[in-house]
Amino acid sequence: MKIKEVIKAKDLNEALLSLDKYRDKSKLIAGGTDIVIDLKHKKVLPEVLIDISDVEELSQIKIEESYVEIGAAVTFTKIEKSKKLDNRLKGLKEASRLVGSPQIRNLGTIGGNICNVSPAADTVPPLLALDSIAVVMSVEGKREVPLQELFLDKGKIDLKENELLHSIKFSKLQKNQALGFSKLGLRKALAISRIATSVCIEIDEDNRCKEIRIGSGALGKYGLREKSTEDFIRDKILDENFIEESARFLKSEIEKRLEGRSSKEFKSEAVMGTFKKAIREAIQLIKA
Amino acid sequence: MKEINLTVNGKKHRIKIDENMRLIDLLREKLNLLGTKEGCGEGECGACSIIMDGEVVTSCLVMAFQAESADIITIEGLEKEDGTLHPIQQAFLDEGATQCGFCTPGMILSAKALLDKNPRPTRVEIKEGISGNLCRCTGYNKIVDAIEKAAILLEKGGN
Repeated sequence: MKIKEVIKAKDLNEALLSLDKYRDKSKLIAGGTDIVIDLKHKKVLPEVLIDISDVEELSQIKIEESYVEIGAAVTFTKIEKSKKLDNRLKGLKEASRLVGSPQIRNLGTIGGNICNVSPAADTVPPLLALDSIAVVMSVEGKREVPLQELFLDKGKIDLKENELLHSIKFSKLQKNQALGFSKLGLRKALAISRIATSVCIEIDEDNRCKEIRIGSGALGKYGLREKSTEDFIRDKILDENFIEESARFLKSEIEKRLEGRSSKEFKSEAVMGTFKKAIREAIQLIKA
Repeated sequence: MKEINLTVNGKKHRIKIDENMRLIDLLREKLNLLGTKEGCGEGECGACSIIMDGEVVTSCLVMAFQAESADIITIEGLEKEDGTLHPIQQAFLDEGATQCGFCTPGMILSAKALLDKNPRPTRVEIKEGISGNLCRCTGYNKIVDAIEKAAILLEKGGN
């Protein structure tokens, strides 16, 4: 490591000004659970580190009239334990609860989970299923962009040198909407997701699916929406038979995507399980 | 070099740190608190666990400068001044929950962070509480037994 200057930003303004001054010579740090390892292995070589973990504005969960806003420096523990996020958002809390270990969840942040663009980022599938908007800031101002559009490639985020992820926003869920999540890891704790699926649905009294969004983790270069499966399910009655049929549809989609990869057979089979668990959980949450 | 202020085991410090230092380096090299162990150095094993502002964290994943104004507890901060062990430490001894000892400081601090928030955890909650701490000698049963016992000792009026 050859860091020459370290800045612990007291407020958002100081963070933005420092980032604007040092640009590509600098790196942001919050939880540190990824970047400290990268620094150790010299995968990143910044001259300046800017710590945003204590910036109050980035560390809040806000419930506005029509939407929820989660600051980029909010930790997984805070999301998991938050009483502000109601049970219909269980999928997001569950994804946060299943990250790493207590130590990692106490440090790691939702902004870091997004900006590192790992294919296996646990909170990305639920955020995609929630149709989240990313709020990006720089000294020049603020821009809002659909979360999915920030992902350029594995490990590559569409932020300019002087921009930071400020927060993530999504519409509040209504009574007939809920978010489910299921993850397949190789062990209980400290497991990297092999597959994660999150499903956000809206159903009417007849169990008809009015709207559905499916977020996938570890089934592509980064978190993805399963749009053709969503189209297949929308406007149909969600009985057990149809859920099984939808799972088979999703399986065939994943088979196409993973063609030629050794993980194809396992992942296309296993995704049926995570999908069914996530959609059943969402239906249960609505009925509860 | 940069100067930072922090509290470690109840004592205030003003320390010169190198910008490249991690919190574990500060604790071991600047404050000579060698109870904080470095195992994997990647946040997987939990041997370097400490309590920072009430939460257990792996000190190998925190940069030293980030600990400005933090309140830190390491394993050395648990026993009383007269040398009496903390009830969790005593329970680990009583139950034979330690063998080579390398994971023990981290285990005990994870247990403390858990019991501070949840004084009577179930065995499942205890296992979840120490899920970020690996032990390669004893297996985990004795450690879980010890934490259960510590909960009872603490309830009877330990510190």
